[in-house]
Amino acid sequence: MTLERAHPNYVTVWVWLVVLMIAAVLVSYLPLAKSAVVFLIFVIAAVKALLVALNYMHLKFEGPVLWAIAVVPVLLVVGLTLLLFPDFVFHHH
Amino acid sequence: MEASVATRTAPQILPGKVGVWWFLASEIMVFGGLISSYIVARLASSGWSAEAAHLSVPIASLNTLVLLTSSMTMVLAFGAVGRGDRRGVRTFLLCTILLGLTFLGIKAYEYSSELRAGFMPVTSPFWNFYYTMTGLHALHVLAGVITNLSLFVAARRGLRNAHRVELAGLYWHFVDVVWIFLFPLLYLT
Amino acid sequence: MAESAVAAGAGEVVHVHPEELGFWRTYVFSTDHKMIGKQYLFLGLFMAVVGGLLAYAIRWQLAFPDTEVPGWGFVGPEDYNALVTMHGTTMVFFVAMPILLGAFGNFLIPLMIGARDMAFPRLNRLSFWTLLGGSLVLLSSFFVPGGAASAGWTGYAPLSARPIYTGVNWGLNLWLLAHAIEFASFLMGGVNFLTTVMIMRAPGMTFFRLPILIWQLLTAAVVFLLSVGPLIAGAIMLLMDRIAGTSFFVPEGGGDPLLWQHLFWFFGHPEVYVVLLPAVGLAAEALPVFCRKPLFGYRWIIYSTLTTAILSFIVWAHHMFVSGMDPRLAMPFSFTTILISVPFAIMVFAMIATLWGGSIRFTTPMLFAVGFLSMFIVGGLTGIFNGSAPANIHVHATYFVVGHFHYTLLSGVLFGGLAGIYFWFPKMFGRMLNETLGKIHFWLTLITFNATFFPMHLLGLGGMMRRIANPMQYEFLQPLQPLNVFITVSAIGLLLAQLPFLINLVWSLAAGRPAEANPWEAATLEWSAPSPPPHGNWGEAIPVVYRGPYEYSPPEVAQDWLPQDRALAARPG
Repeated sequence: MTLERAHPNYVTVWVWLVVLMIAAVLVSYLPLAKSAVVFLIFVIAAVKALLVALNYMHLKFEGPVLWAIAVVPVLLVVGLTLLLFPDFVFHHH
Repeated sequence: MEASVATRTAPQILPGKVGVWWFLASEIMVFGGLISSYIVARLASSGWSAEAAHLSVPIASLNTLVLLTSSMTMVLAFGAVGRGDRRGVRTFLLCTILLGLTFLGIKAYEYSSELRAGFMPVTSPFWNFYYTMTGLHALHVLAGVITNLSLFVAARRGLRNAHRVELAGLYWHFVDVVWIFLFPLLYLT
Repeated sequence: MAESAVAAGAGEVVHVHPEELGFWRTYVFSTDHKMIGKQYLFLGLFMAVVGGLLAYAIRWQLAFPDTEVPGWGFVGPEDYNALVTMHGTTMVFFVAMPILLGAFGNFLIPLMIGARDMAFPRLNRLSFWTLLGGSLVLLSSFFVPGGAASAGWTGYAPLSARPIYTGVNWGLNLWLLAHAIEFASFLMGGVNFLTTVMIMRAPGMTFFRLPILIWQLLTAAVVFLLSVGPLIAGAIMLLMDRIAGTSFFVPEGGGDPLLWQHLFWFFGHPEVYVVLLPAVGLAAEALPVFCRKPLFGYRWIIYSTLTTAILSFIVWAHHMFVSGMDPRLAMPFSFTTILISVPFAIMVFAMIATLWGGSIRFTTPMLFAVGFLSMFIVGGLTGIFNGSAPANIHVHATYFVVGHFHYTLLSGVLFGGLAGIYFWFPKMFGRMLNETLGKIHFWLTLITFNATFFPMHLLGLGGMMRRIANPMQYEFLQPLQPLNVFITVSAIGLLLAQLPFLINLVWSLAAGRPAEANPWEAATLEWSAPSPPPHGNWGEAIPVVYRGPYEYSPPEVAQDWLPQDRALAARPG
């Protein structure tokens, strides 16, 4: 059943991934404020990850259960990182 | 009414796919714990960017390209399974395996040049994290290469278990996604 | 039409081999979920004996410091640290999890949901053998030079981060390796549990017709899968610190020991619920059967379980109120910790309300289920002291905490686990356990359990630290020493109280009264299979489910229970 359905053009996705990778490398050399550069780079990384997850891992075609399995741990990692901030990041400055 | 709820959600999904996704959820937490620790440790003290500047962005970019391309060949192998194209499956799996090995080779070259320049795993917190994170990732790549190799050998006899290409692909793309984040975390910032 | 599709889907996984399997394939390298469940059970019981003997040596040292432990030898301060570390690790990871999750999960999930086996039978076999390997690694660490790990079961850094700090090199490395293997084993197990319940339920078995135990096991598996990752990451970093000389957790190299505590407790506290929820489930299965009443508040218990699971991820730092953690975190973590007692209180009240007005049959499993309920309430109440930061600072790292977690975790493993063993033994082995021996076992256990662990609260309030090898070295603790002696005598009594159970187990396995399919007159699906169930669990046809799991004393039928797979003709009128 999974095998017969329409799938995205994998090569086009690859082209996008490469373009975004080059963009991230170029952004890191831009004469912007450090925080702006970091922000842009991680936005690009998130878009790349999303492209892979949606197209290559086929999340685009999956139901809510698999989505939940994929998204909940990501949220937990974000929560863990934020809750560690007071003890490490705010602590030393 | 409730009976229809159960039967609607029941076995439309491949069991292996559900299993692999749960496994990936736990893997997200492993790499997530490591990345989380790295982020707070890095933000807590200064001077990490200067140390990260010793890493080679061109080599790492090349390696990123290699891994992204291997993800594409892996998903093309899955596409070939859908067409019942045994030769395509084997060709694309072989490409993925070779690209995975290329990634590991480049990574090994990178390690050796860093070690020669005197940057040991014990040199400073940045290098602690650098070697541990990339090392754990490289072990995952290695595991993926071995898995793909077993599928490549199995596909010689036919496509009876070819649905496993999709499962191995999910894992392989996950390893790619981890690298998509490690690359900017370690090299670009 | 959809129903038949499910039946066909379930039919694909039939592994009924008409030919006889040899000894090795039947008992050793089996892929049958029932045999694997029994393997987990016996491994867990064996490790419980090891952990119990460690407890004996620990208690002897505390009551009669620096004297020869009869039948064991001399225990000095260094050995004492190793004993305490290994006792905690063994009991939590190699007894509680194998028995509550491994044994009952594997044995009961397919039987209760109406499947012929787990979704991945060979992965299941692998997970057991992986755990066995982990157990052997753990046991072998006693015999390497330098002895076993001695940095506490929490392995706090920096004590654990450099071999010279504890004087234990390979013992602690092997301890970490044993954890890694155990985690791998239960990750495989958890993936299997979740996949099985998600896609292999019998026709008609909706999520809200699943027995509570299945919900609890599912939740425990999810919580384990999602919480163990950061600790695995931490364990890798700790191993790097020990072997490669990095400084993730060593302040002099720029690391931070607090990070280890965060990563450990991000897993460590959810782990409490991983162990506790199945124990609640085991008791919740026994209660309605022996009250001949539906379980009170079935859906509320489910919602409470899910709430507990969510909250369990944001309570961990209540273990760290005195660790030097940012004090601004104390308030929110106290709040979430007190909050998590609400869903647990709902579960406990639902179970008490199940007892209300029931026709109670005090069989041995029922005694243990009620024993769990009452002991767990004590543990839950003392938890409120530990959970709120102001009280916690007073009792932190004292024997009060030791008393508290034995009332919560040990009540779950001992009373909940034994309720499960007494309840499902007939299904597992096709024979009944002896009721008289069972009742002797229960009462002796209940009395000695309380005599052992209740005085620990008093010791803690008196100021006795939880990790000292010799209380007599402090003048202010010397007046409390008689209490330590009393606890030790009771603890030895608690260990001896398990002898009637071991005798019962061995005797009943060999010569117990043969059990019929449904000796307790229970309604859940596993009792519709023969005792013990054959390979594949049911004959030709998988049972079809028509109703919820706890229909006792319904007005429609003459007998006082209505099995889940019994179709009823529409009532006239």
